[in-house]
Amino acid sequence: MEILQRPVVNETGYEPEVLIDVRGVTKSFATSYGEFAALKGVSLQVRRGQLVALTGKSGSGKSTLLNMIAGIDRPSRGEISVAGVSIASLPEGALAAWRGRNVGVVFQFFQLIPTLTILENIVLPMDFCNTYPRRERRERALSLLDRVGIPEQADKFPTALSGGQQQRAAIARALANDPPIIVADEPTGNLDSRTAASIFELFVELAGSGKTVIVVTHEKDFAGYFEHTVAISDGVLLDGATVGGK
Amino acid sequence: MMRPSIVKVIRDLKTDYVKSLLLVLAIAIGVFGIGSILGGYAVLTREMARNYLGTEPADATIRIEGGTIDQKLLDGVTRFPGVLRAERHATVSARMKVGEDWYPLLLFVIDDFRNIRTNRFTKLTGAWPPPAGTMLVERTAFRVMKTTEGGSVTVKTPNGTAKTITVSGTVHDPGLAPAWQEETGYGYITLATLHWLGERQGFDELRVSFAGSEKSARAIEGKSDAIAQWIGTQGYRVHEVQIPPPLRHPHQGQMNAVLTLFVVFGFLTLLLSAILVSTSIATLMTKQVREIGVMKTIGAGSRQIAALYLLMLLIVCLLAVVPGIHLSRFSAGMLVQQIAGLLNLEIIDASIPHWVPMVQAAAGVLIPMAAAALPVVRASRISVLEALNNFGVSQTRPADSSLARLRILGDTFTLSLRNAFRNRSRVMLTLGLLAAGGAMFVTALNLSEAWEVSLRKIYQHRHYDLEVRLAYPSGSDSLIRRISQLPGIKEVEAWGYSPTSFTEGRRYDLVHTYPDKGHGSFMLLGLPLPTTLVDFPLLEGSWLDPGNADGVVLNHMAQAQAPLLKVGDPVSLSLDGRPTRWRIAGFVEDLGSPASAYVSADAFARLSGARGLTNMLRISFTSRDRTTILQKTRQIEEALEKEGGVVAKTIPISMLRTAMGEHMEVLIRSLLAMAFLMAAVGALGLMSTMGMSVIERTRELGVMRAIGATPRAIGRLVVWEGEIVGVLSLFITIPSSVLLSAAIGRLVGNMAFRTPLPLTISVHAVLAWAGIVLLGSALATTYPAWRASRITPREALTYQ
Repeated sequence: MEILQRPVVNETGYEPEVLIDVRGVTKSFATSYGEFAALKGVSLQVRRGQLVALTGKSGSGKSTLLNMIAGIDRPSRGEISVAGVSIASLPEGALAAWRGRNVGVVFQFFQLIPTLTILENIVLPMDFCNTYPRRERRERALSLLDRVGIPEQADKFPTALSGGQQQRAAIARALANDPPIIVADEPTGNLDSRTAASIFELFVELAGSGKTVIVVTHEKDFAGYFEHTVAISDGVLLDGATVGGK
Repeated sequence: MMRPSIVKVIRDLKTDYVKSLLLVLAIAIGVFGIGSILGGYAVLTREMARNYLGTEPADATIRIEGGTIDQKLLDGVTRFPGVLRAERHATVSARMKVGEDWYPLLLFVIDDFRNIRTNRFTKLTGAWPPPAGTMLVERTAFRVMKTTEGGSVTVKTPNGTAKTITVSGTVHDPGLAPAWQEETGYGYITLATLHWLGERQGFDELRVSFAGSEKSARAIEGKSDAIAQWIGTQGYRVHEVQIPPPLRHPHQGQMNAVLTLFVVFGFLTLLLSAILVSTSIATLMTKQVREIGVMKTIGAGSRQIAALYLLMLLIVCLLAVVPGIHLSRFSAGMLVQQIAGLLNLEIIDASIPHWVPMVQAAAGVLIPMAAAALPVVRASRISVLEALNNFGVSQTRPADSSLARLRILGDTFTLSLRNAFRNRSRVMLTLGLLAAGGAMFVTALNLSEAWEVSLRKIYQHRHYDLEVRLAYPSGSDSLIRRISQLPGIKEVEAWGYSPTSFTEGRRYDLVHTYPDKGHGSFMLLGLPLPTTLVDFPLLEGSWLDPGNADGVVLNHMAQAQAPLLKVGDPVSLSLDGRPTRWRIAGFVEDLGSPASAYVSADAFARLSGARGLTNMLRISFTSRDRTTILQKTRQIEEALEKEGGVVAKTIPISMLRTAMGEHMEVLIRSLLAMAFLMAAVGALGLMSTMGMSVIERTRELGVMRAIGATPRAIGRLVVWEGEIVGVLSLFITIPSSVLLSAAIGRLVGNMAFRTPLPLTISVHAVLAWAGIVLLGSALATTYPAWRASRITPREALTYQ
């Protein structure tokens, strides 16, 4: 679909092969028991259009790494570059604007705004980032709902939808600004296996259309959907720093 | 399609409609308060100018002794340089019979009803001018005179016999305080009627208004003095010059006190509303923190988030401002009517000027916005991670470990205690809100009680029950002997009284008395020493000493007229128009009296040339009940008449108390209204913050349910928490109310009566507030706790 085709470019117009470049990232948290390192010098490169699974046990650091890539959190040390932009150095306001345009985030508990209809939830990112003309936003939101398979739910409130439908709506919202990167943190953790499978199929389809999709999951049954799996344990990647090639 | 961010704002308001309504109500109350006060103030000041100044009040009244002002003298004064208007007049202190008792009646003798030039009054109904043998009555006096237009009243002047006079019409005199407050009748008659009543005097007062805009007391004194000196050269003796405070209604002080009180409480109400808004917005932001995180994740910046919530507040403010402005118009109207009654004003135009709603709208929007700015900015700047990781289960702070060790009332209480202090900024705001509301509630009732205490002081420091003023001095020994023989008489003392003033070298009394002869007056009182009938509290120095013949004690009202005087200073006071020298022994608080200077009866008699004579008796009875006092008063009047005394006025202490009580009725009513308003805002705030505190922890309560807590245990936990905050607030409320009561009591007391109201702590008010707080806390937490305890753990854990 055309609405998914907008390429990511940096300020110079150069379209890099490596979209996400994580170099020597360490993330430490101060706790009452002293400093705790969630990530220890992690380096990782992800290319455009890849579907990557981040796996690991609870507390291994996979969600922390995902948050770093999405610009939700900042590293204590190291560098994260996305499409040539060093996101760790962006001020908070600029980071929010960058995130809105370049990263679509899918949560485990969907996190749809309960007082907005599904359609309004999808228009909201376009509203915040002012990415499409106002008169086009509704049409675009309906197209995205059609794309994720729930066009008939547009005018309902989130609580009226099943978990799977809510997650599809959340994915549609993640695609609202046509970001090149989609990140999902345990997106099927709250869904039954059949629904979970349909969500993973959707991610495959998105990657096929050029999106770079990174999913945190510990559901081994669905490993087959991913072309690359990065395992993480105690804040350290267990295998290669660069994830394949396309 | 409306922008979804705006749709969210509107739907959030609708979804949380109870909370939204509370916010609207809180702001509306503030807007209402400001509008009531400013609207009332604007109308009253405008109408006061129209009414009081519209009467063309004379700048000075020059009283002539032992003669009648003829047309030649009047013309001479009228032509005097700088004189705008001059008019001759007479005011006679007569008495009227109401039922079986005699009450004071002021008779204003008008030279020409068809051409009244100063102190004008308006004809309402009836004859104009009043035919001979009839009188017009001021509209507020019918209540005291217990008569109607067309009816009659028995009147006795100092030199006349009792005569029945017909009331031929009604007038409105905005220059006078309402008659019912003074317990005095006001009648308007011609000179012919005065003569018919038995008086032979002519016009003995010259009312003068000066040209030019300078209306300072000093300037008027200078101009009046020049006229007085000229009159002296024309063969007349000027006895007294009355210069009431220029352009000030006799009850201006009380009106200022009431309006100041309203302004203070109006400001505090708005402050309370602002705290409530701040608390409510802070809790709202806490509840929405995850949504904020989600919005930031999908691209919203901090400014966009802040703008959303400020837009929400703006909608709330606009919803509050509209009814607040409309309702305040009614209350301002009621306030105007109340105070107009106090001032005897006729409200011709009750319209509220446009600037009042504009100020209300600005205050109703800007103050809540300012109050909400901090919580909104703080919440909108939260990091995405922090927002998304907010599960409604807060982390315990290290300092809470000390609370953890407390085992006062079992584990539930301990947990409640720790919960209460977990969100410290909110608990501080809640405590601030409750303390502010409570302090104002208690202060309002404290002031009301302080006023009651002041009224009781009238009895406490006056041990006499009746004051009798005689028209002419009579032999004191025979009067005392005669009265002492009556049954039920405890004590009789012969005093002397004379109008006085600080002479400053003049040959006449310069006084600040109003035309009603009461407001602004200054009396010199000679009393037997030692006296058993008064024991005023000393403010400074000492009471009169029989060995100190030239000692004088000034009451607080007299001290206010000459604030630079100190104990030991010499002072010159006029007595029958002659200067007399005294030395100040002390100052006393003397509530209920006009400005008064107390000297020994011996010195008074010696200087007034009235040895062995008295013109004032003060009498105490064995019983102080009202019926006995009225009955004894009648017996004493009869006895005095038989002894040849002419009674000019009888003032039972109960009349003094009633008059003072009536003066401050509006203030007391206002205070009570304020107390209820404060209670309402405080209770709303309490219910709002407590309710939100539970709602935002629905998830945490769900966790507790999941690990086995029963609905009852959860209910107990939450209700305890509310009660703890409520009880703690009392520890701030009580000292704050003491400070506030002292400050406002000083301000209002000084403004109205030249003395601070006594600091009084109303136990009933404290208990009532404690009850409101404890009951409010329980009510505010019980329902949300009950609701929270009934949702399943799964629902609670997915609660957003």
